[in-house]
Amino acid sequence: MIHVKEHKEPQHGRRCEKFVTPKKLYLPLSQHIGKPAELKVKLKDQVNAFDALAEYSALVSSRIHAPLGGVVTAIDNCPHPVLLRSLGVTLQCTGDSPQLTQREHIENLHKDELLGIIKDAGIVGMGGACFPTYLKLSPPQPVDTFLVNGCECEPYLACDYRLMEEETESILRGAELVARIIDPKQIYFCIEENKPAAIKKFNLALSMKKYRLPESRLVILKSQYPQGGERQLIHQVTRRAVPCGKLPFDVGCLVQNVATLCAIYEAVYFSKPLVERIVTFAGDCLREPKNLWVKIGTSIKELFDEKILEFDREPEKVIHGGPMMGISIENLDYPILKGTSGVLFFSKDEVAPLEGVCIRCGRCVDACPMNLFPSEIIRRVKHKQFDRLDEVFLSDCIECGCCTYVCPAKIPLVHYIKEGKRYAPKNK
Amino acid sequence: MPLRISSSPHVRASAHTGWVMQQVIIALLPAVAAAVYFFRLSAVWLIFNCIISCVMTEEIVCRLRHKPSTIRDASAVLTGLLLALILPPTIPWYAATLGGIFAVLFGKQIFGGLGQNIFNPALIGRAFLMAAYPAMLTHWVNPAGVDAVTSATPLALRKFDQIITPLGDLFLGTTSGSLGETSALCLLIGGVYLFARTIADWRIPFTLMVTVLVTSTIFYVIDPVYGSPLFHLFSGGLLIGALFMATDPVTTPVTKLGRYIFAIGCALMIMVIRYFGGLPEGVMYAILFMNAFVPLINRYTVPKPLGYER
Repeated sequence: MIHVKEHKEPQHGRRCEKFVTPKKLYLPLSQHIGKPAELKVKLKDQVNAFDALAEYSALVSSRIHAPLGGVVTAIDNCPHPVLLRSLGVTLQCTGDSPQLTQREHIENLHKDELLGIIKDAGIVGMGGACFPTYLKLSPPQPVDTFLVNGCECEPYLACDYRLMEEETESILRGAELVARIIDPKQIYFCIEENKPAAIKKFNLALSMKKYRLPESRLVILKSQYPQGGERQLIHQVTRRAVPCGKLPFDVGCLVQNVATLCAIYEAVYFSKPLVERIVTFAGDCLREPKNLWVKIGTSIKELFDEKILEFDREPEKVIHGGPMMGISIENLDYPILKGTSGVLFFSKDEVAPLEGVCIRCGRCVDACPMNLFPSEIIRRVKHKQFDRLDEVFLSDCIECGCCTYVCPAKIPLVHYIKEGKRYAPKNK
Repeated sequence: MPLRISSSPHVRASAHTGWVMQQVIIALLPAVAAAVYFFRLSAVWLIFNCIISCVMTEEIVCRLRHKPSTIRDASAVLTGLLLALILPPTIPWYAATLGGIFAVLFGKQIFGGLGQNIFNPALIGRAFLMAAYPAMLTHWVNPAGVDAVTSATPLALRKFDQIITPLGDLFLGTTSGSLGETSALCLLIGGVYLFARTIADWRIPFTLMVTVLVTSTIFYVIDPVYGSPLFHLFSGGLLIGALFMATDPVTTPVTKLGRYIFAIGCALMIMVIRYFGGLPEGVMYAILFMNAFVPLINRYTVPKPLGYER
């Protein structure tokens, strides 16, 4: 793992603001890993807030809800940061956010009922992977260790930090619910040391012992990237290594991001589906950075139109997500999705237009958190030896970007690795 | 507003190839200062000569190959500086120039330039001169006096006359030897700088030195005539070799395990030549010899991924 320049300071101190009145929402049917959701509405349909617009269509899928009431004005390809275009619903909003009422007898809910609520609320992993949460919470074998992921190791991002500080109770209630579902022996709350206020809050909350949690510990980790990666976090905290090609439950672990836990809490306590989240807006182009609660589907452009965000200078690059694993977008029409943790605006692109030659310094090898041999993978991709990529464990690459970050020759290693993954023969 | 698109990650560390080379040059400055202090103008001319010949060769080859000039990455400057520091101060100017040309042309450019060479270019330059002008390469002067007095190096004294040079002289550098290799103190200062700025991996120099110390301790216990462990550590080209030649990224292994293997191989080879070879010193040939194994070492030390199961 490596130390990446954090640039978190200005964002860390900004309390979350809300933007709850978007005029138009773009809701792609594919905001999760798995099959796109199946459309349930027609053009010109009137929908209420929290209505399901699309249903899960397979085992690995997720529901999409209407964040606000409104009219379906288009069902077509809408912009999507990952897929570029995806079938989606355009909603002209008319209604307000509904009043939330607390569900009764939560303590009597059975584990399967809880899972059902989470499934119906369309909750996916909000750390960025967007894996449907109800599936993750139904592991085929018992899990003894539950890790709450509050690392937020990507530079610039502060949404999880703000959530941990402002919604400590919600996260802990969410953890309580997850603990009821999977019944772990121990819970680790993992926070990096660059988030002192969150550490203080959790320390206090855990010491009050008002939550029904099994043995819980606050783990303060040295700030490193990519510590928030599931495999890296499990290895750092428990020293267990998730075998290649297997999943965390194979070593008895479950990792949940803090934002996901907050969403679980809201779904169970207030029957609120996943329709909004905190997004960090930062970068040197903004007059001031902000952490905003926004409705899923809000387009980035609308935030500027409504003067919620303001440019100080022209951006040269806009990144959907964090700077290490995020995706650069060519305009601001893209919507906020369930997995969007940040949008960054830079006046200068740090990526060099030309790559140098590899001097075999081995910095990529030292930096790789998966213990791979990046320079050799790249050499084989460049020589089109796609059938020999297996020997250097190409498929284990998590594309975290550490190798590219440290490379003194400025070689875009991750880019070549992605190319290799595309052309490598699939071993069956 | 045209926005730029690229693959992730979108931020980069500031270190670039030229910067890395510059840092190594900075780390060599204490040794350069010692060289100038001990050998005066002849040191200045030799360093100047080697750097100019290396940089000129690099530029000419780039032009002949219709490639963009690569002298800005400072690697040719570094090659020239390293070459000067491992040559005897009395070497005639034309030999040094030839060495510089040979180092860049046959040590580096013939393989395709930066990053492609198998052998350390500076050592290739010296090996060439060793073969072409053996007498010049074994003619040493004592740095202490103003008038250059011919005298053997500490390692030659040990090997051929069984005279052991005092450690203090070796540490400060008041012995005869190549331009930049005599002062252990100055080289170590440079080494500390390299590791403090994480320019070079500590594994190779550390392992190399430890292996030398262990081997020489064993032999010292058997018979003190072999020389004490610290004598072997501070004499000859061991420190400049361990800190600046065996850490050249291009010609050393990339994998962590490979670096240990490379360093142990170098150290054992050095000691074999020092103890049993015809030459008093073996750092150059040991490192060149191990350079040849680097592709093989890399191939057999591919790291196992996190969570790998066989």
